[in-house]
Amino acid sequence: MNISFRWLARHVDLDGLTPADVANDLTIHTAEVEGVEPFAPHLADVVVGHVVERERHPDADKLNLCRVDIGPAGSGELLQIVCGAPNVDRGQRVAVARIGTRLPGGIKLKKSKIRGVESQGMICSLRELELGDDHSGIWVLPDDVTLGVDVSTACGLDDHVIEIDNKSLTHRPDLWGHRGIAGEIAALRGRKLRPLDFGLPKTKGGDPYPVRIETEGCSRYIGLAIDGLKNGAAPAWMRHLLLAVGQRPIDLCVDLSNFVMLDLGQPNHLFDRRRLSPEGIVVRDAHEGETMATLDEVERRLGPEDMLITSGGEAVAIAGVMGGEASKVTADTTELLLEVASFHPTTVRRTSARIGLRTDASARFEKSLDPTLPAKAAAHLVNLLREIQPDVSFPRPPGDVGSWKDPACKVTLRPERVRAILGADIPDDDVATKLESLGFGVKRAKASWTVSVPSARATKDVGIEEDLIEEVGRLYGYGEIDERVLQADIVPPPRDDRRALVRTLQDRLSGAALYHEAMTHTFHSDELLAALKLADEPHLEVRNPVIEGYRSIRRSVLPSLVSLLAHNRRQRAEFRLYEIGKGYRPETANEAGEPREVHELALVHGRAADERKGTFPDGLFHHMQALVADLVACADRAMPAWERGGSDEAPSVFHPGKWIVAKGRDGEVLARVGELEPGLARDLGLEGELASEVALAEVSLDALLVAEAQPLVYRPIARFPAVKVDVAVAIAENVSAGDVAAAIEGAGKGLVDRLDLFDLYRGENLGAGRKSLAYHVSLQAADKTLGEKEIQKFLGRVERAFERLGGELRRDTAPPTG
Amino acid sequence: MKAEDLDRLQAEACDAVRAGATKDELRRIEREHLGKGGVVADILASIPSLEPAERRAVGQGANRLKQAILAAIEARENELDAEALAAERKAEGFDASLPPPALERGALHPVTRVTRELEDIFTSMGYRVLDGPEVELDYYNFEALNIPKDHPAREMYDTFWCGEGENLLLRTHTSPVQIRALQKLEPPFRAIVPGRCFRNETVDASHEHTFHQMEGLVVGEDITVGHLIGTMKTFLRELFQRDLEVRLRPGYFPFVEPGFELDARCPFCEQGCSVCKRTTWIELCPCGMVHPAVLRHGGVDPERYTGFAFGLGLSRLVMLRYRIDDIRQIMAGDVRFLEQFA
Repeated sequence: MNISFRWLARHVDLDGLTPADVANDLTIHTAEVEGVEPFAPHLADVVVGHVVERERHPDADKLNLCRVDIGPAGSGELLQIVCGAPNVDRGQRVAVARIGTRLPGGIKLKKSKIRGVESQGMICSLRELELGDDHSGIWVLPDDVTLGVDVSTACGLDDHVIEIDNKSLTHRPDLWGHRGIAGEIAALRGRKLRPLDFGLPKTKGGDPYPVRIETEGCSRYIGLAIDGLKNGAAPAWMRHLLLAVGQRPIDLCVDLSNFVMLDLGQPNHLFDRRRLSPEGIVVRDAHEGETMATLDEVERRLGPEDMLITSGGEAVAIAGVMGGEASKVTADTTELLLEVASFHPTTVRRTSARIGLRTDASARFEKSLDPTLPAKAAAHLVNLLREIQPDVSFPRPPGDVGSWKDPACKVTLRPERVRAILGADIPDDDVATKLESLGFGVKRAKASWTVSVPSARATKDVGIEEDLIEEVGRLYGYGEIDERVLQADIVPPPRDDRRALVRTLQDRLSGAALYHEAMTHTFHSDELLAALKLADEPHLEVRNPVIEGYRSIRRSVLPSLVSLLAHNRRQRAEFRLYEIGKGYRPETANEAGEPREVHELALVHGRAADERKGTFPDGLFHHMQALVADLVACADRAMPAWERGGSDEAPSVFHPGKWIVAKGRDGEVLARVGELEPGLARDLGLEGELASEVALAEVSLDALLVAEAQPLVYRPIARFPAVKVDVAVAIAENVSAGDVAAAIEGAGKGLVDRLDLFDLYRGENLGAGRKSLAYHVSLQAADKTLGEKEIQKFLGRVERAFERLGGELRRDTAPPTG
Repeated sequence: MKAEDLDRLQAEACDAVRAGATKDELRRIEREHLGKGGVVADILASIPSLEPAERRAVGQGANRLKQAILAAIEARENELDAEALAAERKAEGFDASLPPPALERGALHPVTRVTRELEDIFTSMGYRVLDGPEVELDYYNFEALNIPKDHPAREMYDTFWCGEGENLLLRTHTSPVQIRALQKLEPPFRAIVPGRCFRNETVDASHEHTFHQMEGLVVGEDITVGHLIGTMKTFLRELFQRDLEVRLRPGYFPFVEPGFELDARCPFCEQGCSVCKRTTWIELCPCGMVHPAVLRHGGVDPERYTGFAFGLGLSRLVMLRYRIDDIRQIMAGDVRFLEQFA
């Protein structure tokens, strides 16, 4: 909301205060100020000129050649200005932009020739100065303005605008007008608000203007008939104040209505009474499908949850939101109906949200306005109007109907509690004074006071003791409160296993594993879900996505990282990313309706396909498998056995033939490792130059937390040296490395200490369908150094074990070393 | 053999040794003189054929010759070692300006880095770290926080609504965990809640629909606004490693009363800069004394306990700390961004 400094001065003496002082007062004690700006700074360089001569342009009928005196602002010589406006004439006071003046929009005026005649400036219209819409001619100033001064000073436009964040006024309906803000300044500076006349003028006798309320959404409606209006321009002072706060002046009726709203915070409406039925006003809920055209010339479709102002059965306004086109005031309007009402905040808010029309009026009504305010606002408007047009008259008493009660209330306040909450030693007297300066009544007793809350503060904001404590605190100034250190027993906070686990994993991944931690959005796009063939899985959806189609809340974290593969491969030949995050499973919601939350670690490792050096041990799949096992170990958990994943149960992002799974004690999935599904790789654009080898993994942190503990325990260093022997087998493809390893371990009879596969080879010399696996085997006995005899026995057993698998021990490997 | 012959032999041999350029050459000289069939061996072999009177002198002469050669070789070897070391130390051809290789490193996300920093500061002051669901119930996100249905303050939170009814949403702040904490924990307690939050905002360089916050909640007997100020100053001192002036101004949040906005002096300037929008203050976090209605929703007696709460903008702190100028990068998962935080 914009607050004009000059406007404030109508309500409180601002002598000795700058706009910056006022802004600072409000910032520290009242609300959030977003900025203080001079109003129309471009006017500072536009000066008052006097048109000394006007004649026809020698070469253009429609152009005038003027000689303009700008007094002390000029060099002493008259300016020659070519002006196209029809209304320019000798003797006028006008607004002159000189060569070098910057006009709104940033254009700098240059010396120019118009139809061969030099023009040394410009006589401006209101529109050119952004002071109105009028561009039919130049802006003619009053005759008494001083020659040569800037028009901003000359016409009372030297104002400052203080912009206040509306959100910070959500709870203060009383501050939605200048008088409310002025009241804050008065309280803060110990000044008094200037009195305003809230008395309605005398009306003619007879029946009050007929008003009937048929809905609970309206608690008060004042309808006042006004006759003898001559619509036209509002007075300059009013137009200028409206301009300063960003309101476009229209005509007297519209400007006056807006002025009163921005002055007191009470929305109101002026109808052209000739367009209303003589039966007066009925406030009622709309019928289903009822339509009306609002002032912005939009046809609105309404329903029973919306509230209408009607006359003779026809809707003439949407209550609290906007008036109707048909009954709007026009240039020839002479008979008015003034509406000032109290509408229910929720009703207005819902209608405004539903039809997508937020207005200055609806914003105020939804904050819970003071129901005593309409009478004051009606009087204020009428009194202003009578100052401007003393001839207006009031043919009958106002209709003032509705059932409302004054919200003014009493709240108990313990001054001791004020001190206890604020942590400041504020004396009783100060507590009372501060409240009183804000319009609260204070009745002191020993420990428990009774504070009367004025109606303007009681609608929503102030209802409990803490609210009053805030009032005292903000006036006292929070900056005056001394800082204090918390006192508590010295005990460590309880251990949080989940958080400790997350830190352990992050440290290992971002450290030794050389992974980068990513954070990605919780949403999956329809497009991604379709590409990943996940669209059929149950996803919780947001109803109002930021971007259409970007609405599914992820079940798992891994797809988010998969969606980033192509982008990151474009940047780097190799990358490793992980994310620890949450997924949501709506099909297993609890009683309260909360979907089950899963905590997951997702990993991706991609690199250009041509970087691939061999299938083993360099393949990314194997790296990923090793990494996951390492993570489980560093989390002090036992790594369950890996199982080959079935092709028909592969999660859609995994290669159906190249994925493995490890399960926890209860059969829940602890981890999956696999290569990227090859068709998906193509769909994601990982082909051609971006052809990649990609390994993926997901680890359930929930399963990991409950997995069997396996704390790290030191293994004593062997007292006897180990013997190393290399073993290779040529064997059929369908025998797994796991079976071969088991055969070697079995042949070792407990002596095999380490077994490292160092070569996987396929070649013609082995024959089709066969492969060679070569291992470093470390043999170790607890009680002696192993000799050649034991090694040969071991090799013999290995050979027989291999034969049982249909393979043969290859004798062409290096001799054992010790 | 005459003594002069021996002297001549010794002189020749020692000259050869001194001229030896490598250890291999010295070994060769040693072999030629002292090895099988070498000069000394020849002399010794000739002894039996000498007159008995000469034998002793020749024998002694041969031995002296041998010792002299060995000594010369050792001396020359030491010289060669010293020369080699000196040459090594000269480090010829070493170019210290060659570019070092790029190390491969992993990286924590900047939000994790700052979150950890804050967690460490607050846990050192006895706070526990709590977590809460991102898909939240209306009750926790609004209702229990004193923002009932149709409350105008709901306008402040551009809420993502989930599913069918009015029940589920993506939490718009970390504050719902205040209620969960109050319901679960026995006062007095201190807690922080880092986590992601969501608001339906159009995304640009300074707005993201997903961002990180860190809630703080302290509940106990005799907790005052003074404690809130003290806590925030201590925290800022730890974070920026210097004293920063703070100010509280009124702020409206229905779940605190009184409610504040906390500003800190801009840590990056003295006269105003782009970070503080030339005001020398940076808006740090909304905070306030926990509203009695909130305490009651959490099952805590507001007459016995009071408390304060704050909501730090984690994403904003991350941007301030690393001078990130585009908030969209935080959640973009772009390796060019992530790798910078190694």
